[in-house]
Amino acid sequence: MGDLFTLPVLLGILYSGIRLATPYLYAAIGETFVQNSGIFNLGVEGIMLMGAYVGFFVGMTTGSLWLGLLGAALVGLLMGLLMAVVSVTFKAEQGISGIGLHLFGMGLSSLLFKKTLGGVESISGFQPIKIPLLGDIPLLGDVLFNHNLLVYVAFLLVPIAAFVLYKTTFGLKVRSVGQNPQAADSLGINVAQIRYTTVCIGGTLAGIAGASLSIALINLFQENMTNGMGFIAVALVYFGSWRPGGVLVGALIFSFVNALQLWIQVKGINLPSDLAVMMPYVLTILALAFAVRRARQPAALSKPFERGEN
Amino acid sequence: MSNLLPTGQPRIEEMQMLGIVKRFPGVLANDHVDFDVKAGEIHALLGENGAGKSTLMRQLYGLYRPDEGKILINGVEHVFRSPQDAINAGIGMIHQHFMLVPSLTVVENVALGLKSSRGPLLDLERVEKRILTLAEQYRLKIDPHAYVWQLAVGEQQRVEILKALYRGAALLILDEPTAVLTPQEVDDLFLTFRQMVTDGHALIFISHKLHEVLDISHRVTVLRDGATVGTRPTAGATKAELAQMMVGRPVILQYDRPAPKLGKSRLKVNDIYVAGDRGSDALRGVSLEVHAGEILGLAGVSGNGQRELAEALAGLRPIRQGSVVLNGRDVTHDSPLAHIDAGQSYIPEERMREGAIKDFSVADNFILEDHGKRPYSRATFFDFKAIAEQTRKAVEAYSVKTPSLDTPLKNLSGGNIQKLILARELSRQPSVLIAAQPTRGVDIGASEYIHQRLLQQRQAGTATLLISEDLDEILALSDRIAVIYEGKIVGVVNANEASVEQLGLMMAGVAETHA
Amino acid sequence: MKSVLFRLSLLVVLAAVLVSGCAPAAAEPVTVEVTRVVEVEAAPVEVVVTATPAPVEEEIFRVAIVMPSSITDMAFSQSMYEGLLKVQAEMGGPEKMEIAYSEGMFKVPDAAAAIRDYASQGYNLVIAHGSQYGTSLAQIAPDFPETAFAWGTSLDTFQAQGITNVFAYQAEAQEGGYVLGTLAANMSASGVLGVSGPVEAGDAKLFVDGFKTGAMIAKPEAKVNISYTGSFSDVSLMAAAAETHIAAGADMLTGSSQSVVGAIGVAKEKGAKWFGAQWDQTNLAPDTVAASMVYDWTGVIKDMITSVKAGVMGGKAYTLTFKNKGLVIAYNPGVEIPADAKTAAEAAIQGIMDGTIAPLSGPKQ
Ligand SMILES: Nc1ncnc2c1ncn2[C@@H]1O[C@H](COP(=O)(O)OP(=O)(O)O)[C@@H](O)[C@H]1O
Ligand SMILES: [Mg+2]
Repeated sequence: MGDLFTLPVLLGILYSGIRLATPYLYAAIGETFVQNSGIFNLGVEGIMLMGAYVGFFVGMTTGSLWLGLLGAALVGLLMGLLMAVVSVTFKAEQGISGIGLHLFGMGLSSLLFKKTLGGVESISGFQPIKIPLLGDIPLLGDVLFNHNLLVYVAFLLVPIAAFVLYKTTFGLKVRSVGQNPQAADSLGINVAQIRYTTVCIGGTLAGIAGASLSIALINLFQENMTNGMGFIAVALVYFGSWRPGGVLVGALIFSFVNALQLWIQVKGINLPSDLAVMMPYVLTILALAFAVRRARQPAALSKPFERGEN
Repeated sequence: MSNLLPTGQPRIEEMQMLGIVKRFPGVLANDHVDFDVKAGEIHALLGENGAGKSTLMRQLYGLYRPDEGKILINGVEHVFRSPQDAINAGIGMIHQHFMLVPSLTVVENVALGLKSSRGPLLDLERVEKRILTLAEQYRLKIDPHAYVWQLAVGEQQRVEILKALYRGAALLILDEPTAVLTPQEVDDLFLTFRQMVTDGHALIFISHKLHEVLDISHRVTVLRDGATVGTRPTAGATKAELAQMMVGRPVILQYDRPAPKLGKSRLKVNDIYVAGDRGSDALRGVSLEVHAGEILGLAGVSGNGQRELAEALAGLRPIRQGSVVLNGRDVTHDSPLAHIDAGQSYIPEERMREGAIKDFSVADNFILEDHGKRPYSRATFFDFKAIAEQTRKAVEAYSVKTPSLDTPLKNLSGGNIQKLILARELSRQPSVLIAAQPTRGVDIGASEYIHQRLLQQRQAGTATLLISEDLDEILALSDRIAVIYEGKIVGVVNANEASVEQLGLMMAGVAETHA
Repeated sequence: MKSVLFRLSLLVVLAAVLVSGCAPAAAEPVTVEVTRVVEVEAAPVEVVVTATPAPVEEEIFRVAIVMPSSITDMAFSQSMYEGLLKVQAEMGGPEKMEIAYSEGMFKVPDAAAAIRDYASQGYNLVIAHGSQYGTSLAQIAPDFPETAFAWGTSLDTFQAQGITNVFAYQAEAQEGGYVLGTLAANMSASGVLGVSGPVEAGDAKLFVDGFKTGAMIAKPEAKVNISYTGSFSDVSLMAAAAETHIAAGADMLTGSSQSVVGAIGVAKEKGAKWFGAQWDQTNLAPDTVAASMVYDWTGVIKDMITSVKAGVMGGKAYTLTFKNKGLVIAYNPGVEIPADAKTAAEAAIQGIMDGTIAPLSGPKQ
């Protein structure tokens, strides 16, 4: 055991944890906006897959990672828009529509992958950028300040999201629409418009989450490569009690524990690998059961808004 | 007189609604209604629940579009497509169910939807300053940084009024603003209203409480079943006349109450301490005794421990200290079911949250408590015939208006839901009845009916604890009146010796008397 | 109005489900005249079966395969699919041999349904390409005595249960693992090797164990670190596993399952070398993949087809070994491999073939 808590291991956990957390942050911060406005989008996984595919494909064919990223964001936006149409305008059951969106994204990304790529190929993704000065800090500099752009942006997104949610008129509208849409409506706030906006933000960020995998972290596309990350992201929003800071804590815990369990295995510590890989999930479930402050749950979450007449 | 209000907004000299028709599927909610209000006037809109008052006002506020008819402001026709249009025209509305976001602070609630001076960034300091100015001008005391969920109902209402004033409302629609307030809070509110009309606001005051309408308004219009029954100057109108206009038949406003035939002690509460939702004690040493054949009224300002007492007595809230004896049995720590089995019935304050399940049918709600017993079920199987029969009997006996026994409860009006709960609780022939706010939000017709049922039960020997924030109701029904203040019983008085003034003072925690 | 909207939204959801359902080609509805042989128990009357197509269309052999991942997974599924394509080409193209496939069948009930579909559509050989399909196959096979089935990786043909129409196949992955381990240990400068498997079972575990044995025999002082991700498809965690191995000092990495593509990327980025399993993964990272253990199923497939044509519907268990050329080590000419390492690897292959080396324990005395 003592072998485990050595400096290189801790630094390794820090480094891998930060990278693992990146796609979760994009997806979960996006979903934080969505859920704060009262919409429950379970289709994050499908959007991530489409974002991963489009980001990769566009990046590869045009040779421009930036265009790839833009494409991923756009496809995310469009899928968000689709979810918004179904859940806000048509007031469909949100859990079901979300699952539909997931299947749609999964199926379409696989189909497109086969038609356009045919096989797994890799790409040279966003390269690490060493931050001047900070990157030169001994030991920590390399671990914390030598990542690719999308990693930095993911972490920057947390304070930005908190600022938008708590310090802007838009954020206030979002929270009110999620807590009491009738009240917001009575003050002349366009509930549908706010919800469309947040669901599109959520979609865009989920698209970028996918691209962060395919053109920044893993740099390839494979069918179903998100492997359930989108669902974990939704759980992280609960974990974080609908606050960006809480989501960050959740994403980091989940990712660090995942990194830790790999080290436990690599260090040959006598723990069955099946138990090791379960650790982050068990922890998440425990946290969901004990740490979530349900009181903060948007009261109108997953309830379509009706003014009483059409 | 200046043409501007203290808020700096122009006045609305006259607002007219002409020939308003509004249909909902299967309901003609407004049937060619005419209604108007002028600056400096309070025009009361009176009517039973479901008469169409809220619907009429929602059209004035842009929430619904009229099917027919038009709205004129200062003689100019306006079409309101959304509340924003109405707000821009100087109209504000305080809804029957408050339109506040509990998880936000007072300032945030007021700022919601307003243009900020800092563009996309919130400008809460500025909003706060203006709230404080307005609060002073209109004598509406409020802590701008409190979260709305922390506020008492009266305070929440002040937030609603401030919200409207902040948006420059010249005409204010008040949809049943007193429904949840205490006499003192109503008095305070009326002071504010009077001040507002003196300043040149136009006020529409919706209520079904006759004495309030007579007290505050200049004119009164009565709606019944969506149509206007008539408009009268308030001066010269009488309670009896207005009640008859509302209900369509003469209404008993004073009940016959034969002298109580006191039996033995049924419910004895000994010095109980009970924690509130936020941890600290909501009840701090409450003792009460109710005898067979009497109604003990518990008066008090909202939030002084009434809800906690009712829940503790129903077995829903743990009792930290002290004891409760029900029919000679110690039930202090017993389950709700044990209380029911010991012969106690409970009419909860939150009928939709605790008293019934809104998506269940009328029949299912009726057997909610006794579904596991005969005649409703035998050996765990339901006897649907017996259930239907008993429910039909109860629905008839308590004149619950429902399309069918299978109708989901949420489709019934508040009064009818309450009658059904009453039917369920009373048909069990309880020896003890805890009735918490039994007529809150219920119209006159149904209230009258519920009151008479409670009195009948008293004659039948039930020991009733009537918890109510409506002093009129307490005075009309109780034999003795206990007053609760900050979790303690301030005093118990005989009803025929009590005066409103004395009770009001006790409710404010001032006087202490013992019967 | 509301119900119209509701139906519309339902349609959107349905459309979504459809698109997703089509994509992984779930048992494509091939329109074939299905002639079911009606079996009347102990009936003395001869049932006239309407034109069984078998004798007429004898020259076309129809194979269907159901697999958990996709035909482009650069691993287990792709190896079998490409093997089928090769055999098809040898037999004279699609006119002689038809191939139908269902991929992405990671849910066993879906796979079972697909297997049953293919069997009832009259395919001559239906391959259940996943250990997890065994139980279902044992239930399906007896219902279709005219169809031959194959199941891998496994060595159980269900003969003990009286089933006669199931072939079994398995790769002796530990043999390839042993050789790659020998190679990696000889090439490693740091003396640390990293192995990331998917789950600690079956093919993957055999490979990992063989790799470790080979490495330890070649360099007893070497360190072989092993981790599993618990998933066949978690690319991201596989990448993190590779990062961890490298951080722990490994300069030679290997792993198996389709999720290793994530790890290969990391190896490439960090300048480590990779050893591929199941399929030649060279083109993903031409400077990184030193050598791969490649499965060549063509021999197995051809023998099964020959057997079926001769009326033997099952009962044989095949293994892929170096000896029967089902296992091949594919070196990447783009990566320089020291001569002594290569010599050691070739010696290992030889030893395994002639039986002097046991891949899970080492050279025999
Ligand atoms: N959004 C709605 N949809 C259908 N019916 C409604 C709606 N709002 C009100 N109603 C019906 O219209 C009638 C008038 O209701 P309302 O205006 O709320 O009455 P009041 O405010 O006088 O109690 C009632 O029968 C009510 O059930
Ligand atoms: Mg109303």
